[in-house]
Amino acid sequence: MTATSLETEARSSGMRRFVRRVLFSEYLVLWLSVLYFLAVLPFVPQMASVEVLRNILSDMLPLLVVAIGQTFVLIVAGIDLSVTSIIAMASVVGASVMTGDGGYLAGSPLAVPAAMLAMVTVGLAIGAFNGFCITRLGMPPFIVTLTTMMFFSGAAIWFTTFHTTTSSIANLPHGFVVLGQGNIGGVPNSLWVVLAVGILAHIVLARTVLGRRLYACGQNRRAAAVSGVPVRKVIAAAFLISGACAAVASILYTGRLQTGTPILGQTILLDIIGAVVIGGTSLFGGKGKVVWTVFGVLFLVLIDTSLKMLGLSLFSVFAIKGAVILLAAVIDAVRTRFAARI
Amino acid sequence: MALLECENLRKSFFGVEVLHGVSFSLDRGRVLGLVGENGSGKSTTMNILGGVLPRDGGRIRLEGAEFDPRGPKDALAGGIAFIHQELNLFENLSIEENLFITGFPRLGGALPFINRGRMRRRARELLEQVDIRHPPGTPVGSLSQGERQLVEIAKALSVDAKVIIFDEPTTSLTRREADRLFGIIERLRRRGIAMIYISHVLADVTRICDDITVLRDGAVVGGGPAAQMPTERMISLMVGRTLDQLFPERTCTPTATPVLEVRGVSQPGVVHEIDLTLHAGEVLGIAGLMGAGRSELARILFGLDSFHGGTIAVDGTVIEKPSPRTCMEHGMAFLTEDRRGEGLMMHATITDNIALASLDEYASPWARFIERTRLGDEVGRIGQKVRLRAADPVAALARSLSGGNQQKVVLAKWLLRNPKVFILDEPTRGIDVGAKFEIYKIIDTLVAGGAGVLMISSEMEELMGLCDRILVMNHGEIQAEYSRGEFDSGRILEAAMKRKTSAAAPGAIAEKVA
Amino acid sequence: MNTVRLRLALLRNAPVALFVVVLAVFGSLSDRFLDVQNFTNILIQASHIAILGIGMTFVLLTAGIDLSVGAVMYLSVALLGIYLADASPILAVPAMMAVGALFGLVNAFFVVRLRVAAFIVTLATLFIGRGLALWVTETRMVFYKDQILSLARAEFLGVPWAIWVFAIVFAVAWIVLNHTPFGRQVYAVGENPDAAAKAGINVPLVLTTVYAVSGACAGIAGFVSITQVGAAASSFAMEKEFAAVAASVLGGVSLFGGRGGVAGTVFGAVLIQTVQNGLVIVNADPYIYPLVTSSIIFVAVFVDSQRSRILERLGRRRIRIEERPV
Repeated sequence: MTATSLETEARSSGMRRFVRRVLFSEYLVLWLSVLYFLAVLPFVPQMASVEVLRNILSDMLPLLVVAIGQTFVLIVAGIDLSVTSIIAMASVVGASVMTGDGGYLAGSPLAVPAAMLAMVTVGLAIGAFNGFCITRLGMPPFIVTLTTMMFFSGAAIWFTTFHTTTSSIANLPHGFVVLGQGNIGGVPNSLWVVLAVGILAHIVLARTVLGRRLYACGQNRRAAAVSGVPVRKVIAAAFLISGACAAVASILYTGRLQTGTPILGQTILLDIIGAVVIGGTSLFGGKGKVVWTVFGVLFLVLIDTSLKMLGLSLFSVFAIKGAVILLAAVIDAVRTRFAARI
Repeated sequence: MALLECENLRKSFFGVEVLHGVSFSLDRGRVLGLVGENGSGKSTTMNILGGVLPRDGGRIRLEGAEFDPRGPKDALAGGIAFIHQELNLFENLSIEENLFITGFPRLGGALPFINRGRMRRRARELLEQVDIRHPPGTPVGSLSQGERQLVEIAKALSVDAKVIIFDEPTTSLTRREADRLFGIIERLRRRGIAMIYISHVLADVTRICDDITVLRDGAVVGGGPAAQMPTERMISLMVGRTLDQLFPERTCTPTATPVLEVRGVSQPGVVHEIDLTLHAGEVLGIAGLMGAGRSELARILFGLDSFHGGTIAVDGTVIEKPSPRTCMEHGMAFLTEDRRGEGLMMHATITDNIALASLDEYASPWARFIERTRLGDEVGRIGQKVRLRAADPVAALARSLSGGNQQKVVLAKWLLRNPKVFILDEPTRGIDVGAKFEIYKIIDTLVAGGAGVLMISSEMEELMGLCDRILVMNHGEIQAEYSRGEFDSGRILEAAMKRKTSAAAPGAIAEKVA
Repeated sequence: MNTVRLRLALLRNAPVALFVVVLAVFGSLSDRFLDVQNFTNILIQASHIAILGIGMTFVLLTAGIDLSVGAVMYLSVALLGIYLADASPILAVPAMMAVGALFGLVNAFFVVRLRVAAFIVTLATLFIGRGLALWVTETRMVFYKDQILSLARAEFLGVPWAIWVFAIVFAVAWIVLNHTPFGRQVYAVGENPDAAAKAGINVPLVLTTVYAVSGACAGIAGFVSITQVGAAASSFAMEKEFAAVAASVLGGVSLFGGRGGVAGTVFGAVLIQTVQNGLVIVNADPYIYPLVTSSIIFVAVFVDSQRSRILERLGRRRIRIEERPV
């Protein structure tokens, strides 16, 4: 290396250190969210109102639950495209159990818990099927979950036709609706649920044996197998968790809409994956955290809300969302290349 | 004037010189045999010639002109074709397409369409020269290893190579395929093409080469016309190195208690009737050439690959369904030869890597929380025990460590489980001398503590300096066994090569019958 | 060994067997099904997915994926409706192809130059593309003039116009992939990018081109589709990217690159459409269409994965040559 290049090296190293610190910060996306919030505030001051903030929160909640499940799958280097169909399927199955219009358990005091159990079972069953095909039959996750997505999206619509002539199953019991809209100690029930799921997921990933194994399978599957990690079971577990999370999200969405409908969640698949990736979880596995996903979802919902409030049309919401996802991915690629240089 | 002259080639990796001035020359229509132990510098020399690696010093002259390839493509354009052990073919394409992948003959010479007719004719000519009778449209994926080798040669011929380098061309060939290859080499020689032939199979080298050069420790230690180089002389030149590496004093002797007993383990096409016993306090070495089945045996013993007959027992208990998990539960540990691919999570921290195999031991009973304080303490303790050196011995990423320290992390991972049987596959590959010594010391501590170590290594000195016994594998079988005191590198090398030097391998007989 | 070969042969021909079964089942349920007119309908209905899938095949062959094709379809159709409403198809189709190819180049820039995963790049450009299309259309429904709509009924030499386009795209793609140096290099890059680079193939150029091809095909698919639908709502071509991937995979194109071809993709698209058509003809509950289609794709992928597993086992390196019983 020549003297001049050493000098420029020294001059740029301070800058480079700063860039590196920002890029590698765990909270990068949170800072970006805050920055973004402050930047749009002058244009839409009502963003800071309690009502809007509450809306942002309530928009975040169900999306966050699915995204947390997706985080597990991405950590093991998989992908789960079937989550939206699980939301739809669970919604109509749950509604068919408890609806007052000829539900299986209409009027029974057990209707609501049974319906919720059925919804979670749907999620677990579809997740288990995905996991089985991927780990035991050796099929690629993308295609397996793509076909389950197509199948159960269709199945949810079909199933609905047995229970109603309209496009959704309404007349859900009061108990269920109250669950969705009530609050405990001033905190909405749905927030309690999401907090519980989030904390549980965080603990599983950060503190338990399963968590360590999930990361290991995503980082280096062969090394994990040599070290005695039951790779197949661990990967199947990730898909089960994703299914269960989607079912919980379905409970939240169904409660909010007060109907069971098969079109629930149809359009949010790309939001889910986008949010997780924006948070910093890698599509190639081994890297991801629940808090990152929280930030990713926050960022996406923030952008969504602000764009709508700015009075921007649907087109800009779409385009800007896409640009943001792309930017996040580029930052991640740059990060990875920076990391390789250390 | 010689066709190719190499003078004083030098090459260093990470400040360590591995080639100390290698010189040789090659004439038209001659075959030069290049022999030497693993790590003697053959591959490095050839990679420089083939443009894969840049040289640090010395000069190469091709047909009298300076030759300085900047890449494999450059070397090929200059007339040097390198046929690697790992062939560079596309299995999803046909033979002819592989031959012309970067220079398809085109319709009308310039139109963007492949002139299939011309391609086929050219391919036929080339294939005829290498004796392939398959139609040129046959997919490469359906060819045998030997035939693929010949396709690579045809590719070299298609660009009018003046020098063809063969790196261990026969390792995955049957005897008959090898004979066919030798026939082609003979034919090319008569056409005036010069060849460099690298091989461990000395009988083959004697048979097909005109001249032989022996490398040892990155320098030429002897050479001459093949007629004046009998096998014994080659071997003595190859191994005649002075013991400049120090091995730690062994602090214990083997006991009579077996910890690992392998009886009649076979897997068709891989290993055959393997019997071995490893005792507590013993370091048992497995010597052999690359491709002799040593690593494959290790994988079978650790339950990673299946086998069809025989039993594996640890401490007298037969392992019922061998899998990494069950083997670990019985007290086995396995350090793989591929440290990056199968040993470490390169992007994870030291702690996470060391903890990976022992998570169950540090989990709370019900919720399976990891007891992080206890785990952290133990990881720290083990880290010190293996003398792990890192900027941050807890949170540094495996990727940031030197090869030696990475290997210590893998060892620490297994040490944390306190196993009785260690299978170490090339534990010192790619690490510097100082770290090697430390790993030898760890191995000594392990056996002194009552464990048994099964150690696979391609470095003869290492096995002889460390082991109590050495088994020699060859062609998936255990060929010979030597105890400490009767170690002799010449005899070990001979046993490792023996079967192939005898004229009729069983495979050849079977093929004749079939 | 022989039983393994037999199983392989069975698995290799399973998709064709599936097709025969489909024909037999629907043929026995309705006599209208096995009819030339009906097959013409199937081909017309399958044409836009097949064209989309042909472009997708180029990308999949290099082990990439292009999720933005549905958005490109919509964008090119929107531009056609707003800015080229009076243009003749002779001008409109190349213009739409150019829009698509340009879009593909943007994808390629991120995938090849910035080395971002194709999945995420094209996912993002899917949003951006749909956004742009909505901007162009001001989120209104776009209607088309007669010169375009009349193409739906137009025929040339007795063959409907859509089938001509379908056939031409297929023929060109087939020739490019099988008979040009570029096509064979696409296969080489998909099989082993490192070896391809070592052999001197311009890998970035090959990758860039396939994304441009995929975009251009999406432009054509948009045109063919709009002649049949007549108007473009904001949901136009929604999730067509999945249909295109499904057609390719059903036809034996591997998601991991290097395997399959456009003929398979066309087969896949036609098979899917045949099933849908058959279900219509036998008056099946329309709600079970997606269930049947996805099941068929699932079975095809299952068969393919079992076949690769067997091949992988056969390809394992051998150390010793076993003595065969004499």
